[in-house]
Amino acid sequence: MSASSTASKPMKRTWRQVHATVRTHESQGGDFRWLELEMPAEFAEPVAGQFAQLLLEPPSPVLLPRPMSIASVRKVRGRLLVGFLYAPVGIGTRALAALEPGSSVAVTGPLGHGYPLEEAGTPILVAGGRGVAPLLMAAETLARQRRRCEFVFGARSKALLVGLADARERLARMGSRLHIATDDGSRGHHGTVIDLLDRIAPKLEGPLVLHACGPHGMLGAVAQWAMARGERAHLAMESVMACGTGVCRGCPLPRSNASRDRVLAEGAAAHALQGNPEWAMCCTDGPVFESRELDWERVS
Amino acid sequence: MSHLRVWDGRPIAASRVDLGVTIGSLKLRNPVLTGSGTFGYGDEYAHVVDLTSLGAVVTKTITVLPRSGNPAQRVAETPSGMLNSIGLENVGLVRFRDEKLPRLRQLRASVIASIGGETSEELEALTEALGEAEGLGGIEVNFSCPNVAAGGARYWAVPARLEQTMTRLRRLTRKPLIAKLSPDVTDIRETSRACEAGGADAITAVNTFVGMAIDLEQLQSRLGRATGGLSGPAIKPLALARCHEVSNAVSIPVIGSGGIMTGRDALEFIAAGATAIQVGTATFIEPGASERVVGEMREWMAAHGVSSVDRLRGRFHADAAQGTSEPAPHPEESTR
Repeated sequence: MSASSTASKPMKRTWRQVHATVRTHESQGGDFRWLELEMPAEFAEPVAGQFAQLLLEPPSPVLLPRPMSIASVRKVRGRLLVGFLYAPVGIGTRALAALEPGSSVAVTGPLGHGYPLEEAGTPILVAGGRGVAPLLMAAETLARQRRRCEFVFGARSKALLVGLADARERLARMGSRLHIATDDGSRGHHGTVIDLLDRIAPKLEGPLVLHACGPHGMLGAVAQWAMARGERAHLAMESVMACGTGVCRGCPLPRSNASRDRVLAEGAAAHALQGNPEWAMCCTDGPVFESRELDWERVS
Repeated sequence: MSHLRVWDGRPIAASRVDLGVTIGSLKLRNPVLTGSGTFGYGDEYAHVVDLTSLGAVVTKTITVLPRSGNPAQRVAETPSGMLNSIGLENVGLVRFRDEKLPRLRQLRASVIASIGGETSEELEALTEALGEAEGLGGIEVNFSCPNVAAGGARYWAVPARLEQTMTRLRRLTRKPLIAKLSPDVTDIRETSRACEAGGADAITAVNTFVGMAIDLEQLQSRLGRATGGLSGPAIKPLALARCHEVSNAVSIPVIGSGGIMTGRDALEFIAAGATAIQVGTATFIEPGASERVVGEMREWMAAHGVSSVDRLRGRFHADAAQGTSEPAPHPEESTR
C-alpha cells in the first residue's frame, strides 16, 4: 500500500479572499439552511471536500471567519455559484442565517485538499448527518463524470438526514444507490453506516474507495473498517480554525506513525508540509485525509 | 501649556506622504510589520499580499530544533479576540535558513526573523547562525511566548536575565536586534530598560496577554492547555497603554503591537510613541490586512497634511489628558 499522496502534493495556492453575494438562502428542513453565493471571477472553482472561510461584513458579532464545507458548485450564465449546507448552532452561524439575498459575505477559498475522486476503484460515499455537505458535491461530480457510486447516509434520526432529496436526485442520474441508516431506526436500517458497509461491500467490485464526512467518531470507524480490509478511505475532518490557510497552525490533528515517518523522510523537500511530524493541520494538510494518515486513537 | 491643533495642515497629495521609518540601521519603507506567528514564513501569503508593500515581514518564531507545538485545541474565539496556544510550532533553524529565507529573498521582502529560546545559549546559537545571513534585515527576539513550558514569557520577565542575554546577543550581530516583550509583568518599563541597556535596537510592545476560556458544561479549558495568549481588538487599549509606557521609558524605537485592525489603530500607536507597528490577528480575518493598513495610514496622513511618520510620532498630548499618562509610581519611586 503506497502512502497517501494527498498531503504531499506540491500546493500551488489558488485561494483568494473575495466579496460574494447571497443569491439563495433558505431553510433546508429541520434546523438546516441552504446558502448559495455568487462568486466573483477571481474565485477558483472548488472541488468536493474543499472548504471556504465565511466572514460576515462588519459590524459582525464575531471576529473570526467560519470554516464551511462546500456542498455544491454550479455555473449559471458563466457565473460561479457555490452552495453551503449548515446548521446555525453558534453566534456566528446564527448571524449568517439572517443574511438576505443580495447581501455581501467575505469568502476566503477554496481552501484545503478535496477528495481524490479520480482514484481508481468503486466509490462509496459515506455521510453522517450534516457531514453530507461535501458528499452531495462528490455525488454531483461523479454523476457529471458518468460514474456510478454507492451512497451510504447515516444519522441519529430521520429528521437529521438533511439534503436527502438532493442526494437522491444526484444519484438517480447514474443509477447509483442510496443506503440509509438511523441510530433510532426511524428511517432505513436500524443501526450504523458500518453495518451498511458490511452489507454492501461483498457485492461490490473491488478495490473500494471510500469518501466520508461526518462526526469524528464515525470517521474513525470508517477508517478502521477500510484499513482492516486493505481498502482506501478519505475522511473529511473538522476543526476549530482561525486563519484556514496554514499560517496560524491552530488546527492540529494527530498523525499516525506511518504519516510521521513519511514526513520525516520527506525532510526538506520544498513541497513538504511545514514539516511537522506529529501534527497535521486540518486546513492545509486536509481537510481530507486518507485513513492511514491519522492516529484515530488520539483524534478528538 | 499650549494646546495647538497639530492637524491644521491642509491635505497633501498621498504621494507626498513619507512613510519611511528607521529601526537601528534598518530602513523600512513604511512602519507596517507583520506580527510574528500570523504571517507564516511569508510565502504563504505572497500570492495575495505584495510583500514589497510592507515595512517588513516578521517570520514565525524559530527555535534551534523544529517544534511540533501543542495538542488541540490551539485556538478559541473570545469576545473581540482570540486565544491561542500554538506552542511555537516551527520548522527549526536549518530549514528556515536553507528554505524559507531564500524564498523570502526571492520575493524581495524585507525580513525580520523572530527567534525564541529556552535559554540564553539557544538564542545565542540562533543569533550566531542568522547574524550575518544574507537578505535578513533584523532579528526579533521573542522573550514573551505565553504557551511553552520552558523559556516563555515568565522566564524572560526578569530584567537582569534580559539585560545579560541581550548583551550576549549584541556581540554576535550587527543587524538590528528587537526585543518582543510580554505585557504580563508588574512594570514593562523595567523589562524594556533592561533590553535597552543590553543593546537592543528596539522594543516590540506587546505580545499576547495570558488569558483563559472555560467550557462551562465540560468544566474544561476551551484550549488544550489551561491558558493561552489573547490577541485581537480586545487587547488594543491595553497594548496601546503599554506601548505608550515603553516609549516614555526608553530612547530606542518602539514597535507597537496588539489588536491593530485599521490604519487609524496603527496611527494611534504612532501617536502614543511607536515608530512602527505590527498587524497580527487581523491577517487571520483578512489576509490582506497589513497591506490595507499601509494604504489607510497614508490616506489619513495625506488628508491631515502629515507629511511623515516622524511628525506624528509621540504627539499624543499626554500632559493634556486628565490625570497622568503613567500608572501610579512604585512606592520606592515616589520617595525619590
